[in-house]
Amino acid sequence: MSIIELENVSHRFPDGTAGLQNINLSIMEGTLSVIAGQNGSGKTTFLKHLNGLLLPNTGTVKIAGEPVIKDIHRARQLVGMVFQDADSQIVGETVEADVAFGPENLCLDPTDVRKRVTAALAVVGLTKLAAQRPHLLSGGEKRRLSIAGILAMEPRIVVFDEPFTSLDYPGTQQVLQEILKLKQSGHTILVTTHDLEKVIYYADRLIIMHAGKIVRDGLPDNIVREVEAFGVREPCTSRLGMEALPWHN
Amino acid sequence: MAQLTAFSYRSGNSYAHALDVRIKLILLMLVSLAVMDAGPTALGVMSLCLMILVRYLHLPLKSVCVELRYFLILLALVFIARSLSTAGDPLIVWKWLTISREGMKAGAVVVWRIMLVVLVGLTFVATTRPTEIKAAVEWFLKPVPLIPRARIGTMIGLVLRFIPLIFTQAGETLDAQRARAVEHRKNPYYRLTKFVIPFFRRTFETADKLAVAMEARCYSENRTNPQFSARRRDFMVLAVCAVFCCLIFLF
Repeated sequence: MSIIELENVSHRFPDGTAGLQNINLSIMEGTLSVIAGQNGSGKTTFLKHLNGLLLPNTGTVKIAGEPVIKDIHRARQLVGMVFQDADSQIVGETVEADVAFGPENLCLDPTDVRKRVTAALAVVGLTKLAAQRPHLLSGGEKRRLSIAGILAMEPRIVVFDEPFTSLDYPGTQQVLQEILKLKQSGHTILVTTHDLEKVIYYADRLIIMHAGKIVRDGLPDNIVREVEAFGVREPCTSRLGMEALPWHN
Repeated sequence: MAQLTAFSYRSGNSYAHALDVRIKLILLMLVSLAVMDAGPTALGVMSLCLMILVRYLHLPLKSVCVELRYFLILLALVFIARSLSTAGDPLIVWKWLTISREGMKAGAVVVWRIMLVVLVGLTFVATTRPTEIKAAVEWFLKPVPLIPRARIGTMIGLVLRFIPLIFTQAGETLDAQRARAVEHRKNPYYRLTKFVIPFFRRTFETADKLAVAMEARCYSENRTNPQFSARRRDFMVLAVCAVFCCLIFLF
């Protein structure tokens, strides 16, 4: 079943630049799709259309069968978004306060808020740091906190905008493991990146964006050799004619 | 600033931690006001009580003093100014400067009072989660009409969250400029403008990203209300402190 559907979606920024051009896309529930493209190719603009942070000038975005424009609140609850810059995503003055931010916005009962906070922190392994102040966390921990903040809203789709940017090796591994755990628990995952190396092995689908358009879309093995034409580095394994290898141990 | 850790919440199971935050906030105000009116005897009693509390809570007084080093310099200046400006029996006379006995006493009392207020603040911050402080402020604003208490609560939370980040960003901007030999330019106006413009641009960009991230998490002013639980013993603590403070005001 398709959980994300875009029909003829175009978006133009106020200065006239085309953000998205005639995007038609349908994503199946429970899959992990990687959206790759060079800087400015429209990846983040695309993601922001999924939860109504940006609205299309033409076309329709549907999440779980309902147009986003009809109920933006619902779309934001269904589509959790982990931003590129974790520091500016974390709003709470402590780890647990940040995780509680989303459920409190949903006006849940305080007992339910607490339950969701506890569960989300346990999933990302930050229970012991619940009372910690966010600026004292490591890069990987901050990214995991962002994920916990999203999970507490119980989304069905989780989108990651450049999740590995400025992370060291352990931080990248931690985030990758969280992504895989989410996929195993049935979430639909979208990851944007210009570095395919880390995620290509796990991807069910690879979408290449260029100048606001989808220029390639298919199974990773079928199109990975073509990515360099669009400013994305071909993974080493593919260059060497090997099959993709798992990046985390 | 990111290393500013002594003035922060320390998790624990003490009675001070369990005390209802609204009562703690009232106590903070009451005690701070009483301190400002207290004489040396009352200050002595309060200092003793606070030192026992600090010891009971295992607060790191040494780190606090290190973090307050610049503030302590300010207090020293207050003491000197008081000593020099209060008339009385001259204790030290040097050229046109006269330090009086009364001036030194008055200066010592002022410094003592300010230090006690800082100590009361420290015990409050160390035993209260920032989330609870925010919730209590919201609660106290409830009866005030035309005040968007949820927005104020969120703003307090964001300030607490972003002050360390803003200081870190300011430090990074300064370091980046030092790496490009800004110190060779002696004109303070030039250096200030070269610092302020990128710093503010970055701060506003962060604020923009924050607003988008909050929107993505369904931010609304109609949110889950915080819950409080004041017990009988909390009111007893409040009553005892209130009586003590009244005695200070009266005598």
